[in-house]
Amino acid sequence: MKKLQQLFIAATAAMFLFASCSKDDGYSGIPEDRPFNFEIPSNFPAMAQDIGNNMPTENGVALGRKLFYENKLSRDNTISCSFCHEQAYAFTHHGHDLSHGIDNLLGIRNAPAVQNMTFQSEYFYDGASNGIQLLSIVPIHNPVEMDESLPSIAAKLAEDDAYVQLFQSAFDDGEISSSNMLNALAQFMTVMISADSKYDKYVRNEPDGNMTQQELDGLSLFQNKCSVCHATDLFTDSKFRNNGLPPNPNLNDLGRHVVTGFENDKYKFKVPSLRNVALTKPYMHDGRFGSLESVLDFYSSGVQETQNLDPILQQNNTLGIPLSEEEKQALIAFLKTLTDETFITNPLFYEQT
Amino acid sequence: MKKTFRNILIASLFSGLLVSCSNDDDTQQETIEGFGDAELFFDNGMAGDALILGGSKTNSNNETLTVNRLNYIISNVVLIEEDGTEYVYPKNESYFIISQEGDMHTVHLENIPAGDYTQVRFGIGVDELRYLEGETAQQEFWDYAAANNMTWTWSTGYRFINFEGTFTSENNSEPLQFQVHQGSNSATDNYREVTLNLPTTARVRVDEMPNIHIIADANTIVDGTNKIVLSENLNTAGTNASIMGGENLILIAENTQQMFTVDHVHNGGGSHQH
Repeated sequence: MKKLQQLFIAATAAMFLFASCSKDDGYSGIPEDRPFNFEIPSNFPAMAQDIGNNMPTENGVALGRKLFYENKLSRDNTISCSFCHEQAYAFTHHGHDLSHGIDNLLGIRNAPAVQNMTFQSEYFYDGASNGIQLLSIVPIHNPVEMDESLPSIAAKLAEDDAYVQLFQSAFDDGEISSSNMLNALAQFMTVMISADSKYDKYVRNEPDGNMTQQELDGLSLFQNKCSVCHATDLFTDSKFRNNGLPPNPNLNDLGRHVVTGFENDKYKFKVPSLRNVALTKPYMHDGRFGSLESVLDFYSSGVQETQNLDPILQQNNTLGIPLSEEEKQALIAFLKTLTDETFITNPLFYEQT
Repeated sequence: MKKTFRNILIASLFSGLLVSCSNDDDTQQETIEGFGDAELFFDNGMAGDALILGGSKTNSNNETLTVNRLNYIISNVVLIEEDGTEYVYPKNESYFIISQEGDMHTVHLENIPAGDYTQVRFGIGVDELRYLEGETAQQEFWDYAAANNMTWTWSTGYRFINFEGTFTSENNSEPLQFQVHQGSNSATDNYREVTLNLPTTARVRVDEMPNIHIIADANTIVDGTNKIVLSENLNTAGTNASIMGGENLILIAENTQQMFTVDHVHNGGGSHQH
């Protein structure tokens, strides 16, 4: 009986679907798609990704969001993107130094924040992808993350009427295909822009942008000592550098070398953005540091001369960036002004059922 | 009934043959118009011998390779006429996989302007432009490539060549595994193109499909202009030679430019019978 009922509901839903396909009847079960309205922050550099062939639309972003929270993206339907990328922590894996994945397996890296993605030219700590439309393949294929394939996900989603409808509403060909899945995720990531911190308001001369003296001191120290790598208002130059962390012998992570195979890429990792950095602990590619204090202590006195250490961290016969306690406190005060409450509470990025 | 049908088929095939033969004898200046098909047939070899998966061959590095897999991507096909006129096959349809284990040897091209072609050009792998266009432009080629072991497992790139097997050398009499995975990464663009002269003009006509028979010498991958000694590329445990990055891929890219030669061209035929 219950099955019959479900069938009836499905049939009615299907009828609505057909009805809405003819757009001039005035009724739309499938919401008509329109460009997604999003703003490029005036203090940001130019986009590093060409999104011309995949401009975000209302329905595309809604689909991308649903996929971002979808467990079916993993082989055993247990792990979604949001599992390791939680909004409250600027889409990082709170409290985990290394990422947990499928079958309770452990990865070798700390989950990076998902924010301001189209402004970056390289993704992942090793640059496993440099295109926003393709990057989702990396965690999907990774045997210790989602361990799934795109065609298999498409087959699972095709059994769900909600997805059938969403794909139809978001893409011209309406198909539940690998490319449409990746494009929807890319559209969602395109609009995940964080640019509303106290610092942003300060540089854009907006209300509520008043920085304290200590924060301003921190900003000036930052510009002098950190901004070559943590460049522009994205706070990363998207380059790969060895910052002199002693390699963890249990992981023996060679970083960029894993992708390129070049000897001079060993131990280099992508410079992470520092936006929302106060929320994204633990820090470093392997999440070894639990606080910003530890990070600054490391740069001040812990940098080691390992293979391919970045030249900028060995100037004037000194390793690292010597800092006084007062300077460290000022830098931390400044880094906290990069927290963007609007971004981490924006309902646009919530899971919506 | 069945027999009648077969007879008709044979008869029509025969008449087709007659028609195309008489075309050849035509001494009048023919007007070449319309569109036809063409095929590239990739015949995989190993230093002059046929490539047989599981078979062995000793190369000039004095290493004996037993090949278990040879797959590669052919792309961006261009047919060139004697006067230099180029017909660029539509980019969206111009990505193909050749696979020894999958018995995939043919690149079938459709709607080629009728003409006499004297050269063919193609790419080995996926060009950077294509990659940067993202998944949309690549249509479902990613899925197809993944199903044929032609995508990297740890990054979003294609394997241009997947060449695997075991080898023995002076240093190891017991066979060790080797994997040569040619490709680009976000640091180096290892896509290359080759232009090959055809020993006989390939005639594309409405009713004539030339078959360009290309020999691909897998030996050239590590034993070409550049010599890549597998036993010098062992992992730290000494159990496996994996060549998947760095300078070696640049050397292999150079080697693969010598990997292909056109052996002969079949004109006037239907599909290739080997």
